[in-house]
Amino acid sequence: MRLYVTLLLAALLALAGVLLGLWWAPFVVGLLLGAITQRARIAILAGAAIGLVGWLVPLAVAQERYGLGPTAQSLAAIMKFDHQAALPIALTLLVGTLLGLTGAWLASAGRGLATSART
Amino acid sequence: MTAETAVAVRPVVETTVAPRRRRQTLPLLNLVGALIVSAAVLYVTFFPAPGLPALGPAFNPTTGAWTMAADAQVTNRVLHLAGLRQPVSVVLERDGTAHISAQTDHDLFLATGYVHARFRLFQMDLMRRQGAGRLSEVVGKAAVNSDRFELQLGLLRTAQAEWKQLQTDDQSRQALVAYAQGVNDRIAEAESMHQLDAMFTLLGYQPQPWSPIDSLLVKGDMTQTLNFTDTPLVMALLKKSLGADLSSEWFPILPPNQQSPYDIGPYAKPTIAPIETMSEVTDAKAQSAAALYQRLAALPPGLVAKGGASNNWAVGGAKTTSGGALLAGDPHLHLTLPAIWFQLTMDSPGYHAAGVGIPGTPIVLIGHNEHIAWTLTDAQNQQTFFYLEHEDAVHPGRYLWNGGWQNYKTVSYEIPVQGAQTQHLDVKLSVHGPVISERGQTTSVWWTGNLPSQDLGVLLRLGQAGNFGEFRSALRGWLAPTHNFIYADDRGNIGLISAGYYPLVAKGQPWLPMAGTGEFDVIGTIPFDDIPQAYNPPDNILWSANQRQVTSSYPYYIGTASNFFDAGYRANEIHRVLSQPGKLSADDMSALQTDTRDSLAAEIVPVLLQSLSKERLNAKESAAVDLLRSWDFRMETNSAAATIWWYFWGWYLDETFKPWWKSRAVPVDYGVVFNALGQDLEAWTLHDPGNRAFSAPGVGSRTAPDAQRKSFHKLIGDLTKQLGPDPHSWSYGKVHQRVLENLAEVSGLNYGPRPDRGDGNTPLAAGGYPSTEGPSWRMVVDWGAKTFEAIYPGGQSENPASDWYTDRVDSWWAGRLNPMLTAGEADAAGGIHTWSLQP
Repeated sequence: MRLYVTLLLAALLALAGVLLGLWWAPFVVGLLLGAITQRARIAILAGAAIGLVGWLVPLAVAQERYGLGPTAQSLAAIMKFDHQAALPIALTLLVGTLLGLTGAWLASAGRGLATSART
Repeated sequence: MTAETAVAVRPVVETTVAPRRRRQTLPLLNLVGALIVSAAVLYVTFFPAPGLPALGPAFNPTTGAWTMAADAQVTNRVLHLAGLRQPVSVVLERDGTAHISAQTDHDLFLATGYVHARFRLFQMDLMRRQGAGRLSEVVGKAAVNSDRFELQLGLLRTAQAEWKQLQTDDQSRQALVAYAQGVNDRIAEAESMHQLDAMFTLLGYQPQPWSPIDSLLVKGDMTQTLNFTDTPLVMALLKKSLGADLSSEWFPILPPNQQSPYDIGPYAKPTIAPIETMSEVTDAKAQSAAALYQRLAALPPGLVAKGGASNNWAVGGAKTTSGGALLAGDPHLHLTLPAIWFQLTMDSPGYHAAGVGIPGTPIVLIGHNEHIAWTLTDAQNQQTFFYLEHEDAVHPGRYLWNGGWQNYKTVSYEIPVQGAQTQHLDVKLSVHGPVISERGQTTSVWWTGNLPSQDLGVLLRLGQAGNFGEFRSALRGWLAPTHNFIYADDRGNIGLISAGYYPLVAKGQPWLPMAGTGEFDVIGTIPFDDIPQAYNPPDNILWSANQRQVTSSYPYYIGTASNFFDAGYRANEIHRVLSQPGKLSADDMSALQTDTRDSLAAEIVPVLLQSLSKERLNAKESAAVDLLRSWDFRMETNSAAATIWWYFWGWYLDETFKPWWKSRAVPVDYGVVFNALGQDLEAWTLHDPGNRAFSAPGVGSRTAPDAQRKSFHKLIGDLTKQLGPDPHSWSYGKVHQRVLENLAEVSGLNYGPRPDRGDGNTPLAAGGYPSTEGPSWRMVVDWGAKTFEAIYPGGQSENPASDWYTDRVDSWWAGRLNPMLTAGEADAAGGIHTWSLQP
């Protein structure tokens, strides 16, 4: 139960950061999550999920409010993706996911090393 | 320890030491891996990589490029703008046309700045950066040559000088200040709302505050695009390679073909002696010209004017069905997305005008007010002169002028380059202007665009004029670029003034680089009363299409036929249509704007058919001849004859001139003088078929018909290869397309290429394959019916995700016009948005 609450709070924290313009918030939240979660695999998966949610939710809200089709197409054109509108969306979500994942992984790995050194 | 015991204890060591080592090694490796991957992810999210922006700021969903979706939405709003004194109302029509109503002039210009920046901030930033030589600061090394050239040429220095000269109570100064405040209000708002144009985000920079000098730079950009030419350099190279006799004959001062000047005189007596005829070009002069020509040729498009194309005309009330004056205009420019124009109505106690302005400038450049309407074309007179400075080893770093050795002035600039080291640039200035080449003889350039002007004030007064007297009075102060300002008013009057600076040199040959020693300097301008102009002519029509405005008896030198007046085919066709008997309506004006009749084809094709009449032709060639015989000379997309004609003309020019180019090793790109040579070929075909030009070295003795027949056979083979064996299927739309190019050169955001009608000779201008220039704003005014209609290709927004990015293109393509509503009419129309701007 505590884990779920932690994950929920972490996700909200990451989301709030992104909404405030702190797009790197998932990385920081991932770091925190990695540092306090004992099981590395869970920390990393949760970090990735939080990164994804942190960037997905604002994107979904924008889609709901404005429609992202023309924007996605324009970004694809700018990035020379030949009007493949899905690619900028995928790239965006990948970046968010990677930020959360790497934050959690980094902290978790540090924690793991410290633990093994103590034992 | 024995070997046995050693073997015996070994498993113990393996089971106790190795797991611990592994427990310590694996976490370490894990951490190293996490560090490497995290560093990589953080690097690409925080820092730009080659070809990629920093992914975090660029693509995050709240402040990154995705905000263009929110930016594309326009809603009713109440806004508070710093600097505003009274409330201002902005009504945005369904297509984004803005109607700004203010209670003070100051507030009108401020609100205009805000509205421009709301929809076109990135475009404005690019334009000021181009003029100020600061493009490479945001796009990197690719723009360094452009920046260096712009800083040498001096748009920034001129804009700064213009700003200094403006008195504090000057109306245009106040307009510029208020406009800048409005732009900066929008920059602050966009930054706070994370709604800067996505290109800022993707290029990773924030716009600097707008200053009045930036607006003057934008105006300078336009002057440069339209009037900074390299033709004296071209002429020097042509003369050196072709020889004085051929170059004099092929590139004359007066056009060799029949044209339609609008101002037929009588003219005033000249105040200056006629200039000399052609003379020799020395090797040194040719080498210097070649070096500079190559440098200018390597610059990005738009920095050197390459000939213009625009139409305008007016019909007096006595010749119209409505009884009021008619006015039509369509300036032809590089067609971009976003367009160069922004459509708006500006309404305040001291200024009321509707039409289009250039984002970055606080006025309506083309449009109408309550009493007059006006539009413009480029006047094309020579405004660029090159001077070869006399230097010697005894006076290093100095040049000889008016008998004395002068020091160059030097101005220094730092050019920041994105992703590279800042570059330093020293610009030397002689009395003629900036030194722009030191390869060979030091060459400086005198250019009208470098004269500090008060042109913005002229445009303000133009919008405030209520009759021709005020219109003409305002234009007295206009310097550059020279424009054919056409006029029609609500009392049935029409007028045309080719206003601007017409440089006069005391003597010499201004179409070539001249010695900078003083005796060939620009000594002034043609007096305003003597420049081409007309008012209420007896036949009730006036027109301009970049043709030479005056006849051969005009007493002043204003440029050669190739520098760079149009060949005159559009003007001839416009004149032909307007001068037909009967009265004209606004619909006739609109039809003429989309007229695709090629008047050159109408002259030449009958001659070609005559030349082919006794020629043995195969089946394909006979079919092509039949197509030409039944053709109405209209360059329509479904016309096969149009394709045959256009290919024929190209082959005919090649057949006549290419052998000369080859045998004389002419170092000028053949395409640069295509139009000038076309005028010659037209004249010889019609009046001098035995001209020696047809008998180039290596091709033997020939006449015009010989060259025509050979060209015809070649073009049929060429088209068969390209388009198949059936001439009936060679529709023009297969070979001629038009494209509207994204201003930031993102090809995926272009419109087209799409098959389109017209060519470089037709009133519906569409030169080039694909065509990238053309009618940038079509306007038709009927003062009798009080109707005002217009359209431009593109849309009001630079945001490609906006409905207003390309929403006007299809109507424009089809030749339709939209009504130019008044603010009241717009307010009453459906689908509008209103902004209430509050202090």
